[in-house]
Amino acid sequence: MIQQQSLGEFEELVLLLVAALHDEAYGVAILENLEAKLKKKVNISAVHVALKRIEDKGFVKSRFGGITEDRGGRRKKFYVITALGKKMLDNQYALRTSIYQQIPKISFG
Amino acid sequence: MKHNSQHPPKFFLKFFRWFCHPKLQKYIEGDLMELYDERLRQKGKRKADLKFVIDVLLLFRPSIIKPAEGYHHLNEYGMLKNYFKISIRTIWKHKVFSFINIFGLAVAMSICMLIILMLADQHRYDQFHGKRDRIYRILTKIPKSLKPNASSPFPLASAMKSDYSIVEDATHLVPGVGGDAVYEQRSAEMRGFFADQSFFNVFSFELEKGNKDKALTSPNAMIISTEIAHILFKDEEPIGKTVEFTNRGLSHLVKDGESTPTYWGTYTITGVIDHQKQKSHIKFGVLISASTITSLHADEKIRDMSDNWSEYSNCYTYVLLHPENTPEDLTRALGEIVAHKYTNAAELKGLKLIGQPLPAITPGIFVGNPISFSLPIEVYYFLSFLAFAIMLSAGVNYTNLSTARALTRAKEIGVRKVTGAKRKDLIYQFLSESILIAFLAMILAMILLQFMKPAFRGLWVNQYLNFELPENISVYFYFVLFTLLVGLLAGIYPAFRLSKLQPILAIQKKESSFSKKLGMQKFLSVSQFIISLFFITTSILIYNQFKHHLSIDYGFNAKPIVNIKLQGNDYTKVSNELSKLPGVISISASDYLPATGTQNGTALKIVGSEKDYLSLTVLVTDEKFADNFALKIVAGKNLPAFNQAADRFILVNESAVNKFGYQHPSEIVGQLMEQYNTGETFEVIGVIKDFRFRMPSEQEAIAPLMIYDRPASLRYANVKIAAANRSQTLAKIEDTWKRIDPVHLLDCQFYDEQLAETNQGLVDIVSIIGCFAFLAILIACLGLLGMATYTTERRIKEIGIRKVMGAENRAIIWLLSKGFLKMLALSIIVGAPVSYFVNNFWLQYFPNRVDFGIGTVLFGIFILMFLGLITIGSQTWRASKGNPADTLRME
Repeated sequence: MIQQQSLGEFEELVLLLVAALHDEAYGVAILENLEAKLKKKVNISAVHVALKRIEDKGFVKSRFGGITEDRGGRRKKFYVITALGKKMLDNQYALRTSIYQQIPKISFG
Repeated sequence: MKHNSQHPPKFFLKFFRWFCHPKLQKYIEGDLMELYDERLRQKGKRKADLKFVIDVLLLFRPSIIKPAEGYHHLNEYGMLKNYFKISIRTIWKHKVFSFINIFGLAVAMSICMLIILMLADQHRYDQFHGKRDRIYRILTKIPKSLKPNASSPFPLASAMKSDYSIVEDATHLVPGVGGDAVYEQRSAEMRGFFADQSFFNVFSFELEKGNKDKALTSPNAMIISTEIAHILFKDEEPIGKTVEFTNRGLSHLVKDGESTPTYWGTYTITGVIDHQKQKSHIKFGVLISASTITSLHADEKIRDMSDNWSEYSNCYTYVLLHPENTPEDLTRALGEIVAHKYTNAAELKGLKLIGQPLPAITPGIFVGNPISFSLPIEVYYFLSFLAFAIMLSAGVNYTNLSTARALTRAKEIGVRKVTGAKRKDLIYQFLSESILIAFLAMILAMILLQFMKPAFRGLWVNQYLNFELPENISVYFYFVLFTLLVGLLAGIYPAFRLSKLQPILAIQKKESSFSKKLGMQKFLSVSQFIISLFFITTSILIYNQFKHHLSIDYGFNAKPIVNIKLQGNDYTKVSNELSKLPGVISISASDYLPATGTQNGTALKIVGSEKDYLSLTVLVTDEKFADNFALKIVAGKNLPAFNQAADRFILVNESAVNKFGYQHPSEIVGQLMEQYNTGETFEVIGVIKDFRFRMPSEQEAIAPLMIYDRPASLRYANVKIAAANRSQTLAKIEDTWKRIDPVHLLDCQFYDEQLAETNQGLVDIVSIIGCFAFLAILIACLGLLGMATYTTERRIKEIGIRKVMGAENRAIIWLLSKGFLKMLALSIIVGAPVSYFVNNFWLQYFPNRVDFGIGTVLFGIFILMFLGLITIGSQTWRASKGNPADTLRME
């Protein structure tokens, strides 16, 4: 079941950040963190699309934050990783590690 | 709020709020605002605005856009989708009916689309003039003519400009420029006008080369078209070059008509104009500055018309009104001019000057003496009427078949009603179905159109009309609009009819009122067949008329004659050279070709007689003309060879003898005649046998004619060649011509072909009416096929039972066809007399008419019956052949 659920590269990055920013993850925060980590410009629309997709897939769930002054009275939408999302990340990680370990010990260079 | 003055672009914010999914909108907007504020602080307003716009545009993607189903109002889109789906399924399920509907509609629509294209093509004329809403052409209407003339008196433009403050500027185009310009051995034939500098102020023509502010100011300045510039100068720069111009009096309009060549002097090219880029009703190869006119009439090469108010056919006047003045002001001013200038002119009493707005010129009303040929709006009305009849017929098919199928769909309608559909919803459903069918038909029609366009352009008349018929966005817009209209109108009756169905009746499958009462359908079908019968008879009739004209006896022998245009060469020289050739039997000359559309007129009276002048047609020929054309001299002698002493001799025809009141041709010989206006006296030397010198479509009775010899007026050499080796003889003639005139190309045609060509207009009408007849009968038969198919399908079980009970095939065919045969019979009973009388009515006004007897109508009826019977028969035959076991098994 989990194997059938797909997770794109960018989606995975966003999901990782949601998990890392636990309970403080919302659009702009994720964007800024992503830009810092990746060291390149990311567009807010890309983040929102990715968030919507992973929410539809059930990897994150969301809640609304309180009304704050600095956003002109608009709420933030905070994302939290779900158990399914965590499991997905674990699987991905395990998969990558296992394949990585199959790389023969050849010295490059 | 803290950032009242600093907000992102409002439009994009609104746009975002509009498209964004309502569930996501609030917090994505929050994020956007947070980023915006941050960027505003860091990078300033412009960068922040830009980024905001980019963000909004990038968010415009499927997962963010709110679903079209609507968030709050779920139902509408869902229902529409359902209607669409059901429509597709219905179309797919009843392939035969759908095909009949779509194909019939497509055929009719393609005709209508062609007319839309024609109109769109015409509307592209004169669009480039910046002041087009203020430009008016002045038409002259004299009481005795039905249609106004496009031309107006010569002094009008200057009078308007100087005396009336409502006129900002006025210009006129004076025809009469038509001849050859020569530049370093290269010659080009050109036709055009004199024009003054105001031409470029009134109109917005742009010059390809040259300065348009000065192009027409100085005398002997000339503007030529790019084509002519290319012939004369090849790749050289044309501006500033001088050419020698010899005027041959070529008309700006028709191919023929020329006068004695006159040398007009040298001209400087001041401009080159490209007509391809500027579509206008004003077409010319050359414009000569109007200031040249003064010097030309000083040399007596053209007439002085500067104060001639009585001639209105030799000038085209255009005025430009001041922006604040209205057409009414112009009408008033023109009225004043007429009152001032024409009150004392007895001949022109009642003359009217009318301002015609520039946009109303193409397509415009029918005008006499036009500046260029175009199809008058009346023709469009006529064609649209025909197309409308066909469209109506196709629409009726749809209406009929959909209504007839009500019973099949009764269950669907019933279930929909029971589950809560209102009548309105069902109407929408049926309308969406008909509109979908109309759009499918539109696609097919556009494919058909691609075949029709070349066929239409191939019509004879189109060599004068230059239709390009380009397709562009605005034309497609009209197509779509038209399709919507067709869909709506075709679907509206079945929609109202079917939606009225009572659900209980529908589900119980009671064959209630509407299956038996097909009165409306029958009425519509019958009218379709009446229209078809009318079209068929008319096209047969016109075809007969055309054949009749082709076989008409002109009274002279045109077959061995080749006509050569002299193009300004001396006839004696041409005749001497050509008569040396073997294969040339004899040569004569004339000023125009009889029976090809041209004619000149004069009036004569017997010297000393009290009687009125008699109008005659004048033909100038040499003395060999009568022999050459095998025309008999019935009394007196033929014209003598030309010399100064003999120029008073004339020949008249038998008709003139009668009109002058003589019983016998010999009585008129030797009689002296006085010509109207000039007072010149002639002596009748002989009487020539009557022959047709007018086109068959022009006049039936042969009019009085006089023939005399004026060598200076001869324009055509009529060369009679031997029947054997015609092509060799022609080749030799061409070689000889090249020696005589190296400048002009040989222009020669067989006379019988030229005569046949004058009937080409009829060929066009036959093709158009024939095409409409074909479509009308096609569509009517398709409708009949649909009805027949439906009826046999509905009664397939009944037929099975009948067959089991022992009915014969013949009886079954009769049973099924009976209703349709009645319809066919009714349409013939009504249609035959209608088409007989209507066609007879217009035929009365047609000269040289063919007999229109019962035979033509019977032939039309035969075609109609034949096609109708095949259509019905195919279905009923199939049904009667079916094995009853197959049809009865499934129950």
